[in-house]
Amino acid sequence: MSHDTHHAPVASKLDLAPERSDLGLIRPDRKTGWADWLTTVDHKKIGVMYGAFAMLFFLVGGVEALAIRTQLARPDNDFVTARMYNQLFTMHGTTMIFLGVMPLSAAFFNFLVPLQIGARDVAFPRLNAFSLWTFVAGAFVLNSSWLFEFGHLAGWFNNFEWHKALVYSDFAPANGWFSYAPLSGTVGQADAALHAPRFTGVGTDFWIIGIQILGIASLAASFNFICTIINMRAKGMTMMRLPVFTWMTLVTSVLIILAFPAITVALIELMFDRQFGANFFNPSAGGQPILWQHLFWIFGHPEVYILVLPAMGIVSEILPTFSGKALFGYPIIVFSGAVIGFLGFAVWSHHMFTTGLGPVPTAAFALLTMAIAVPTGVKIFNWLGTIWGGKIRFTPPMVLALGFIWMFMCGGFSGVMHSAAPADAQQQDSYFVIAHFHYVLLGGVLLGLMAGLYFWFPKIFGRMPNAGVAYLASGLVILGFNLAFGPMHYLGLAGQPRRTHTYHAGNGWETWNFVATIGAFILGIGVFLAFANLVWTAFKGKKCGSDPWGGRTLEWSLSSPVAEYNFAQSPVISARDAFFEDKHGGRRIAYENDGGEAGVHMPSQSWMPLVAGFGFLMIGLGMPMLSMGVPHMGWLVIAGLTVMFIGIWLWALEGPGGYMLKTPAGNSSPVPQAAVTH
Amino acid sequence: MSQVSEPAHAPTSTGIEHKKLIMWLFLASDCMFFGTLISTHLLYRKLYPTGFTDAEGHQRFIQNLFNIELTSFSTFILLMSSFLMALAVSAMHKGQIKSFRRNVLGVIFFGLIFLGCQVFEFTHFFHQGLTIQNSVFGSTFYVLTGTHGTHVAIGILWLILLYFYSFTGKLGGHVGALDVEVAGLYWHFVDIVWIIIFTAVYLVEYLGPSGFWGTGLPLTK
Repeated sequence: MSHDTHHAPVASKLDLAPERSDLGLIRPDRKTGWADWLTTVDHKKIGVMYGAFAMLFFLVGGVEALAIRTQLARPDNDFVTARMYNQLFTMHGTTMIFLGVMPLSAAFFNFLVPLQIGARDVAFPRLNAFSLWTFVAGAFVLNSSWLFEFGHLAGWFNNFEWHKALVYSDFAPANGWFSYAPLSGTVGQADAALHAPRFTGVGTDFWIIGIQILGIASLAASFNFICTIINMRAKGMTMMRLPVFTWMTLVTSVLIILAFPAITVALIELMFDRQFGANFFNPSAGGQPILWQHLFWIFGHPEVYILVLPAMGIVSEILPTFSGKALFGYPIIVFSGAVIGFLGFAVWSHHMFTTGLGPVPTAAFALLTMAIAVPTGVKIFNWLGTIWGGKIRFTPPMVLALGFIWMFMCGGFSGVMHSAAPADAQQQDSYFVIAHFHYVLLGGVLLGLMAGLYFWFPKIFGRMPNAGVAYLASGLVILGFNLAFGPMHYLGLAGQPRRTHTYHAGNGWETWNFVATIGAFILGIGVFLAFANLVWTAFKGKKCGSDPWGGRTLEWSLSSPVAEYNFAQSPVISARDAFFEDKHGGRRIAYENDGGEAGVHMPSQSWMPLVAGFGFLMIGLGMPMLSMGVPHMGWLVIAGLTVMFIGIWLWALEGPGGYMLKTPAGNSSPVPQAAVTH
Repeated sequence: MSQVSEPAHAPTSTGIEHKKLIMWLFLASDCMFFGTLISTHLLYRKLYPTGFTDAEGHQRFIQNLFNIELTSFSTFILLMSSFLMALAVSAMHKGQIKSFRRNVLGVIFFGLIFLGCQVFEFTHFFHQGLTIQNSVFGSTFYVLTGTHGTHVAIGILWLILLYFYSFTGKLGGHVGALDVEVAGLYWHFVDIVWIIIFTAVYLVEYLGPSGFWGTGLPLTK
């Protein structure tokens, strides 16, 4: 906003005079080091932090998965207790979905979308930082339940009155990632303290508040990205010239803003049941636990597409690059993505075929579920069409992307099997379902995201990952993954139930469970190796040019790593695959006459998103501790709400701020030397 | 005013300002939010059409609980607050800051009357024996209308902050008008949601002598 003193354009933010906001606070614009990272509003840095946190939580979720597989390696095993097992599979699912895949997708949204549409930042830079820190707060709340669990196991809380009063003592969530009522809720009449008897311990309260906070982070990010994509496209960047990854970001964000309210309400209702004795899902007072299932899956099924569409977008960028061809059927791929998003809201009850919906709804949801395979199949055929006749380069990202198509297709086939309700009745709650969704979410989404990491790491850090390690890791991941989850198809059809901490010998399940465990460890080593290679790359990798792969979209026209202002001059687009056309076709990218000595507008950094996120952390830790009966925790919740409010209020008062940063004059695009040599 | 404030006026791809677009997106999301809450209420009304049982074990009918005159009054007040909000937005667009202040004070006042009615209503219903714990109807009713009340309260807080901010002299021009307009969008939305809640939760109970859901009483035509 308008201030009395204005900075002249500066060549570096370190040249700025300290600028006071309206409140007399100094904006952290000139910070470097860790304070710069904590206050940054740069979408690229926020993307990197999203990615780092996501990879960390992937490893946490992976350790949980390996503990599960170790327990199941032998019949009647006692590696972990049944109680611990419940917490492990619940936190594994929750972590991988909400703290692994979604933030890793968000990392790509953040880093890529402004670059791909020719913008200098997202529409609301501080809101973007708020999304990041709120996500971190939610992730910390969820995982802090483990700290309480370990403290409980170590006996640290034994002398406390509140601990003696606990009936159930599972401190980490233990209901499965869907937390079905009434297991997660209450039964019977509330007592004077408004507490109705519950089935599970405070782990469920950690889950409720953790997911609620993560939902706020996802919603805020999605509003921001829709706004950015619709409103901040460079001149000439029409909707049908958008890179497919940006299109899928848009569809995913729309899914998030329409699907998350359902889980938000369901979580509020469950919280009222548990904390205030309400009866939404309390069967003894007339509440219908089935309503939880409906509300959860109205969110939960679109969530599946929220997870997979970004990976589809990534693959749609990688395949054309390494096939040397334009994406086959671009409009159809975009349209299919939108149709998948639309139909994704109309198939939730296929998760509930065995609940007795009646023949008409069951038939309708079965048909719609089969129908959703059509746009997915269309995409796969278009990807095959893209590769067909191309000059294929088997780089690490390409190998992973091809793995994505193959593995995702296997998951799709077993998915179509589930859509037939009578068959689903046999497969429900068996390992067949585990096999299915891991083929979709791991063989599909994780391979897609890893492909994206290997593809864009050179752009993010200006360094090339070690190709040998990358090939080895990709091979281990694909091999280990199939060894781990292929046999589960058989185990499921042979009757092994999911969410059960052990099984007896003599059912014919021993061999394949053992094989699956070996596969899981190979997979774990592969993923660890792949991530370790990336971390090494970020610091020590061999430096590379701006366009090492011969890229097609705008981000490859920029230097690596990308300058903080992204585009020294705003691009003007005249074709799809704008940068490829610029290099090889007739249609060059033009540049607007902005930037240079006059500078480009950079948003000011801010502490406030971090403060607001910290408020959420206080609320998130306070609520479950309140539920445990720890004294004075109501005050922590109130203090958290206050901190959050003050953070947002000061955020509004300080205004967007901003300064002008000089950019190199002339064409912003460096000479794409690598593209010529390849 | 300077190069620094220029990007606030920078043209967007659609011509719609970022702030306005993101508020519309938020409202789309909030539609699903209230849609889920209202659905929960209606599903349970259909399932348990006979009302609730109070602490003394008496079967209570919703028509005998609601005070439709009071709720109609507070609904009318909220509608009129939307009218004043529209006047406040219009005044900001014309740069008439004093008129904006007058109208926005009216919105705040009417919003507070609405909230006061809701507080009265909740207290009254509580004394009539409807609690959040003793029935599904109590749970859905209090959480649904309470969530709406929270939205109104946030709106009032927002408008109070805008009102005081206007005295700093920084609320003005195109950006100031946009800020007020966005707050207005939120306020109108909360109002429209109340119209739906008023219809779906209150009015349908009076469709015919036994209400839309049927109370078990004989229907007389």
